[in-house]
Amino acid sequence: MDFSLSEEQQDVQKLAAQILTQEVTVDRLKTIESGEERFDEALWQQLGESGLLGTAIAANYGGMGFDFETLCLLIEEVGKTVAAVPVIPVLVGAAHTLQQFGSEALCERWLSGVASGKTVLTVALIEPGCDDPAAPQARLEQAGNEWALYGQKSMVVCADRAGLVLLTARLDRELVLLAIDPTVRGVALTPQHVTTGEPQFNLCFDAAPVTQDNIIATGASAQRAVQSLVQHTLVANSVMTLGVTETMLKMTAAYTSQREQFGRPIATFQAVSHRAADAYIDVENLRLACQQAVSLLSAGADATEAVLIAKIWASDVAHRVSQSAQHLHGGIGVDKDYALFRYCLWAKQLELTLGGGKTYLTALGDSIAEDFKRRNVAQKVTPHAA
Amino acid sequence: MNIALTHEQLALREEIRDYMMRLMTPALVDELHGEQREGGGPEHRSALRQMGSDGWIVRSWPTEYGGKDAGPVEQYIFCDEVIRAGFPYPFLTTDGVGPVLADVASEKIRASVVDPILRGECIVAIGYSEPAAGTDLASLTTRAERKGDKWLINGQKIWTSYANVADYVWLAARTDPHAAKKHHGISMFLVPTSAPGFSFTPINTLGVRTNATYYENIELDDQWQVGPLNQGWRMITEQLNRERLSLVNHGPCELLYERVAQWAAEMDAGNGNGKVIDLPWVRTNLATVRSGLEVLRLVCFKQAWSMSHASLGMDQASAAKIYGSEFFVEAWRLLLEIVGQAGALCSGSEGAVLQGALEHRYRSGSVLTFGGGTNEVQRDIVAAAGLLMPRYR
Repeated sequence: MDFSLSEEQQDVQKLAAQILTQEVTVDRLKTIESGEERFDEALWQQLGESGLLGTAIAANYGGMGFDFETLCLLIEEVGKTVAAVPVIPVLVGAAHTLQQFGSEALCERWLSGVASGKTVLTVALIEPGCDDPAAPQARLEQAGNEWALYGQKSMVVCADRAGLVLLTARLDRELVLLAIDPTVRGVALTPQHVTTGEPQFNLCFDAAPVTQDNIIATGASAQRAVQSLVQHTLVANSVMTLGVTETMLKMTAAYTSQREQFGRPIATFQAVSHRAADAYIDVENLRLACQQAVSLLSAGADATEAVLIAKIWASDVAHRVSQSAQHLHGGIGVDKDYALFRYCLWAKQLELTLGGGKTYLTALGDSIAEDFKRRNVAQKVTPHAA
Repeated sequence: MNIALTHEQLALREEIRDYMMRLMTPALVDELHGEQREGGGPEHRSALRQMGSDGWIVRSWPTEYGGKDAGPVEQYIFCDEVIRAGFPYPFLTTDGVGPVLADVASEKIRASVVDPILRGECIVAIGYSEPAAGTDLASLTTRAERKGDKWLINGQKIWTSYANVADYVWLAARTDPHAAKKHHGISMFLVPTSAPGFSFTPINTLGVRTNATYYENIELDDQWQVGPLNQGWRMITEQLNRERLSLVNHGPCELLYERVAQWAAEMDAGNGNGKVIDLPWVRTNLATVRSGLEVLRLVCFKQAWSMSHASLGMDQASAAKIYGSEFFVEAWRLLLEIVGQAGALCSGSEGAVLQGALEHRYRSGSVLTFGGGTNEVQRDIVAAAGLLMPRYR
């Protein structure tokens, strides 16, 4: 048992913290947000130059070749600053999935651009009415030696600047994971307005051409790839939630310690300090749930329950800590000239991404029930086992 | 980062689990189901001596006492398995007071108290709280006064668990009534329960039996005053920090969660609804307990790991105590809901589910949120030490 970070991991963490805290000021965020899109191009380039975008991309594709655990340190730091950089869809959803399951040719073609910051890739996870990427309505139809893609994907981050969009579709009854260039004919992008202002797009596919080169995995291997994609995305979102709530908590402790009412700092009222203490416990518990899921995923071990537990905690903690932070700040917490509101918006978006906590609580309950029913059967077959 | 237990740690867990299964003989289990639920009966004392002679008590102690210097993670695994087995292990004696005595007590006390503790022959009760000094412990009024070359002890303590079976009480008494600050005039004593002037009366609580203890003109030799005079407060707070950790072990809850889930997988829900575990709300209850419990397990192991790698922050110990105690209360409720009305049947009753374990747990569970330092004070500590928020003066 070891909760410590390696020296390399500490270096990555320090570098990320240094760049992000220095660059991502409130004024910078305001400038970005008053522009056309909430995407910090200059920061993205800087993260590329520093090597951070290639944290988990293999050295032969121009990355640093560290594991998913190390990448999550960058993601936590981005969460702490709510920087306008789409690290999860690009680095986890698209690049990490491509590296694990894509062909040599696809990796060769795209990953070095991601590591350097030249190229953005993204992933389309959900469809209207369906938050489960493994159950798409989008479908492929045979068209000679090729296929035509029909259907719709929603809330696709940075689809407008992506060289490639990873997505799932059905071919007859089989699941397919594929990657498509969103500028080809038959793909229509419509901008969507989401609570954080992150650039997101609705994608409509009407006979968009798909060749064998676009296919990443089919059938059982697509099931495995999509499961991995979902698990890594859920955990990355939980880690970002950790970063977001850490900063909210810090701001709340600092603000209530200096804000005076009735002649004393409001932090000295137990009704205030105890609510902050509860938020502290929530954040530390979320940290542990994340660390467990991250280290299991990173080691390639079975992380099914750990991922569900991290997401359940992340969703609840995002909501609770955000509301406590807003409440304990009072009016200034909702003032858009003060930094807190952005964190609250991100907390809610992260909470809802791929569905809220109850979806995953239900999944955990089903998994527990299956487990104990299996044990029951096993015990009946071998009565000596107990 | 690798949060999984090592092969050695897993093997240790199995070894202790096997050992405890053999230790818990039917006679001992019977004794623990009767009046002597908290231990101290002949079977319990004999099993404790067995653990001592098999080297389990000394294991976590430094090598100079014959121990193996077992790390905090290994010691947590040990505690967890002992508690799971249902054995009332005197942690406060073996891991709380014992090491303090070994550190600061005289040669004579080491021979007459520490060695017997390590042999499993000696139990020490804790005498801190008083009727008028609970959360505000430093306002205690039990006093120890100089009388010639002896100490004269007078006062009353409350919630002195184990006093009815203990050999000694580890007593906090006021030795300097004129100290500038009230926590500066307190010293620690070891009071033999055989001393003339010592007596106790039982307090039967919702969960367990505990005691009020009385100290009437007890005369003690100087050797029974342990540690620096008037500086007992630090020893008390250090010991309370250790106690806080042992209050929220995840084992017993995990065991009950598994037994309830197993029960729900076996029982028909009626009306053709499959098994109890097929009901959606039952699954939600189990998942809520499971996700909370997994984090409690991580909290406990993280603390143990921190103790062996860095210092354990006060905020961490207090946060664990708050989370664990409040989680237990909620967990017992969620599990009892699954069992339904029969959850109210007591141990030993016809029809009791899981031998009434949940009925007993929920009753004894209510003490956790204020026992070992009330959660309001723990929240004060978290806000001050963890978030650096100012306190009201």
